[in-house]
Amino acid sequence: MKDGENMREVVVLGVGMHPFGRFLDKSLSDLARVAVWDALKDASVPAKDIQVAYLGNSIGGLITGQEGIRAQTILGPCGFGGITMVNVENACASASTAFRGVWLEIASGLCDVGLAVGVEKMFLEDRARTISALISVSQIELSKLGMQFVGEAAMRCKRYMRRWGGTKEDLALVAVKNSYNGSLNPYAYHRKAYTLEEILNSPLIAEPLHLYMTSTIADGAAAAVLCGKDTARKYMSEPTITVAACALKSGRYRESDPLDGDVPSTITLTANEAYRQAGMEPKDIDVAEVHDAMSPIELVSCEDLGFCKKGEGLRFLKEGRTKITGDMPINTSGGLCSRGHPVGATGIAQVAEIVWQLRGEAGPRQVANAKVGMCEDSGGVLVDGDNAAFTNIILKR
Amino acid sequence: MGQDTVKKRLPVLPGIIHEATSPDDQSYLIGSKCTACGRTFFPKQSVCRVCMRNDTMEETVLSTRGKIDTFTVVHVAPKGFKAPYIQAFVDLPEGPRIFSLITGCEPSENALKTGTEVELVIDKITEDEKGNDLIGYKFRPVGK
Repeated sequence: MKDGENMREVVVLGVGMHPFGRFLDKSLSDLARVAVWDALKDASVPAKDIQVAYLGNSIGGLITGQEGIRAQTILGPCGFGGITMVNVENACASASTAFRGVWLEIASGLCDVGLAVGVEKMFLEDRARTISALISVSQIELSKLGMQFVGEAAMRCKRYMRRWGGTKEDLALVAVKNSYNGSLNPYAYHRKAYTLEEILNSPLIAEPLHLYMTSTIADGAAAAVLCGKDTARKYMSEPTITVAACALKSGRYRESDPLDGDVPSTITLTANEAYRQAGMEPKDIDVAEVHDAMSPIELVSCEDLGFCKKGEGLRFLKEGRTKITGDMPINTSGGLCSRGHPVGATGIAQVAEIVWQLRGEAGPRQVANAKVGMCEDSGGVLVDGDNAAFTNIILKR
Repeated sequence: MGQDTVKKRLPVLPGIIHEATSPDDQSYLIGSKCTACGRTFFPKQSVCRVCMRNDTMEETVLSTRGKIDTFTVVHVAPKGFKAPYIQAFVDLPEGPRIFSLITGCEPSENALKTGTEVELVIDKITEDEKGNDLIGYKFRPVGK
């Protein structure tokens, strides 16, 4: 079967976010409610019309003790019940996986209007509990042997430098760009543009990664209202944003590391699937949110997504191509390091940023004339060295 | 004094190491080799994920020497660990690239490089919540 031949076109009618940050006195439901109600308002959809909701959340069970039925306990108090409701956990790709679930429900024709939510609460009085919960997002054998997850990304950065060159100063330039973008984003946790010097003077976590090159824990939520294109006119005269592709893949056993040889990464395999669904190529993408849990990983992602050739990520960055004013703006939101990374909320926060960019509502972060945008997530670490969950969403207007 | 207060030596993960039991014995990592495709896996597996067969895996003794693929000095430690320490991926001659902590050298970026030869050490990785020692493997530079 040709991809999507019998599937219905799905549009994103509205998005909403609870700002990312530190909100000790707010529950998961408090965070989700703000994002969900904002998304409904943005979509002009009454809550009673929502037929299906998927809720992405990664570590809420370990944080609150509510391991099961998180969707129902979080969305119930926001006013939702008696609808199809699904719990989604997929590490850093939890929210984007929830988005995909709702997309499929509507694309299949089973439902007309649905809600995708990502929410995470990471700040507690007991910091050790958050760290223990985060450790469970990697395959547990690795953590038991002493793997520290920033260190794992640090080793990937070193592999990249070994193969393609570049210095720590070069890698830090990604955070210079993204912290500037984040300084313009009212939903971002860290709204400060850092200089190269400030980044390199921030505490060293694991060579070559300093604090300002790493994503930080945060509380936050993001939501999107999706609808079949054929029924969207009920809610707005001009439904603008269409889901052109939505791909999800698991990590895999590999004979060698893509950073050492010519094996395609799972980011590439997932992107290729998305390009195929959309009938697009990398050159068709105008703006992208990529999963820079550690900011230099953005360079690898730019290459793996096909925005530039292998090994040219650094040159691409240095030429300013990925700035808001460049021809391939990446992480206009500030990315995970500036916006903050409430694990299970990130994927839909990326969707919200791309929707705002495509609608021309991104304010000082607005890129010129964006028609197609991409959101890429990868999360979890497997013993074999690959990430565990990969998503790629392409939106167009 | 109850038995609970006696400190025990427990494996950090089950079935990953053989620890020498006599002066003539040698400690090693336990892997599995698939007799059909020849691939070696660590930690040991009961089925070959590539062949998808459950009758081809044999336990195998892995080399006690390997080479550093890449490493980093970790300056912020997870609970139960003390920074700074070195974590690395070590390439074994049988094929697997395995995660390991590194001991026997300064926790410095200059202590190792890609290709540095390292050897297996059976060592305490951390402690459990009762204070028992959790024993696993590390590697150290050869000749140090």
